[in-house]
Amino acid sequence: MSSRPVLFPALLCAALLAGCSAAPGAPSGGGSAQRTLFAMDTLMNLQITGPQAQEALEAAVGELGRLDRLLDRNEPESDISRLNAHAGDGTFVTLDGSTLELLELCRSCYETSGGAFDCTIAPVMDAWGFGGTGEDYHVPSQAELDVLLPLVDSAALDVDAGMGSARLTASGMAVDLGGIAKGYAADRLLDLLEDYEVDSALLDLGTSTIAALGERDGGGPWRIALRDPSDGERQLGVLALSGQALSTSGGYERQFEENGVTYHHILDPRTGYPAETGVLSVTVVGESAAVADAWSTALFVLGPEEAEALWRGSDSFDYILCRADGQVQVTEGLEDSFTFWGDEYGYTCEILRR
Amino acid sequence: MATPVRSSGAERLRPTPGDLLVALAILLSALVLAWALRPAGSGEALSVRLTLDGETLAQYDLTALDGPTRVTVDQVSWPMVLELSPDGVQVVESRCPGQDCVHTGAIHTAGAQIVCLPNRLIIALEGSAPEPTPEFDVIAG
Repeated sequence: MSSRPVLFPALLCAALLAGCSAAPGAPSGGGSAQRTLFAMDTLMNLQITGPQAQEALEAAVGELGRLDRLLDRNEPESDISRLNAHAGDGTFVTLDGSTLELLELCRSCYETSGGAFDCTIAPVMDAWGFGGTGEDYHVPSQAELDVLLPLVDSAALDVDAGMGSARLTASGMAVDLGGIAKGYAADRLLDLLEDYEVDSALLDLGTSTIAALGERDGGGPWRIALRDPSDGERQLGVLALSGQALSTSGGYERQFEENGVTYHHILDPRTGYPAETGVLSVTVVGESAAVADAWSTALFVLGPEEAEALWRGSDSFDYILCRADGQVQVTEGLEDSFTFWGDEYGYTCEILRR
Repeated sequence: MATPVRSSGAERLRPTPGDLLVALAILLSALVLAWALRPAGSGEALSVRLTLDGETLAQYDLTALDGPTRVTVDQVSWPMVLELSPDGVQVVESRCPGQDCVHTGAIHTAGAQIVCLPNRLIIALEGSAPEPTPEFDVIAG
């Protein structure tokens, strides 16, 4: 009886069978790349799928760094720091095109929101300690706010796009782009991804701003759960999102307690105090992440009735607004894409129709 | 009636007890290799990884603990104290200004994170039993 050469084929078969499971982190199809990073004072997560996913991811990370350096007013050499440093001295400060574009958008949102969104809120933010690292939270005196409130006025922000410069006309004014910069960055990243044949992407710029492109792995739109503003462990529901962006504003994001009273960081530019309009959180959905970002702040400041009135006068956004009385208002454009889970926690859901 | 003709090759292809042994050996080898090559972190062990600015600062095997153990993290801008236990981790003290990491409380499931923005530190649980398929891709808020 002749011996058979079985050892090599046997080992080969074993190795092939053992290799049937996917390697950790391997893409399910095509190329995919993912990165978690700190930028713009928050933790971001970028997921990109496509034939040039890694190149697209590197470009996106680079663009985030560039925008962060331009727009961070706590960075001494940033565009915004230079603009603020010349407030009131008449100097038109030469700025990067992205900074100018964003400042013009801020002016537009200021006007459309009737002043509820105002990027010149920085002096009042600093008075509360919300402009820094959180080491100096305190309630400012009314006298201090009375001095600072006249400096909150985006109408006194001159943007000369033709000359590539801008100025703040009153001494003491300062711009803070925290209410819109992440949304603008999401828009810029979506533009950039068009150069890389990206099939799908989920851009989570710090949970408050999320942009979704294409379909999730497994098919269908991306599924974005909305946090219950009263309990970070729970969700109000899940929103199906593709080709759009959302921004959420909630008082729980940054707050402090003094003498038994909790103060949150979303300040009403008209009073200088945290907005108290019976709103716990607002999520705005639209094609522009920057506009969604600005509107989520504005609607929080304006409250449910004015938010609804603004929505009826615009076709550029929809929203989900969670009221302190437990009612969750969803505009009709999101009716089919939002699955409500809040009834488990005592919330009720109302669809707003035009 | 004609006798069926059988080639010598057909005779050789008939399985023998030795072939069955080889097949069993292949399957056994595959199982051993699959276990040896299993993806890291998908086993039963629960561990916590500290990532500072994208680089792993430390990793602790929680299943090796008998009870709560405190660890001081002082390689960061605002030092902090973690309490590790066999089923999770929490930040019990931090000199960071916001204290958000302390307010997050304990985390117990693989994939959960505590983030300290001032320190640019991520405290993440890894490698427990397979997680249930989530009903969403990300949480906004």
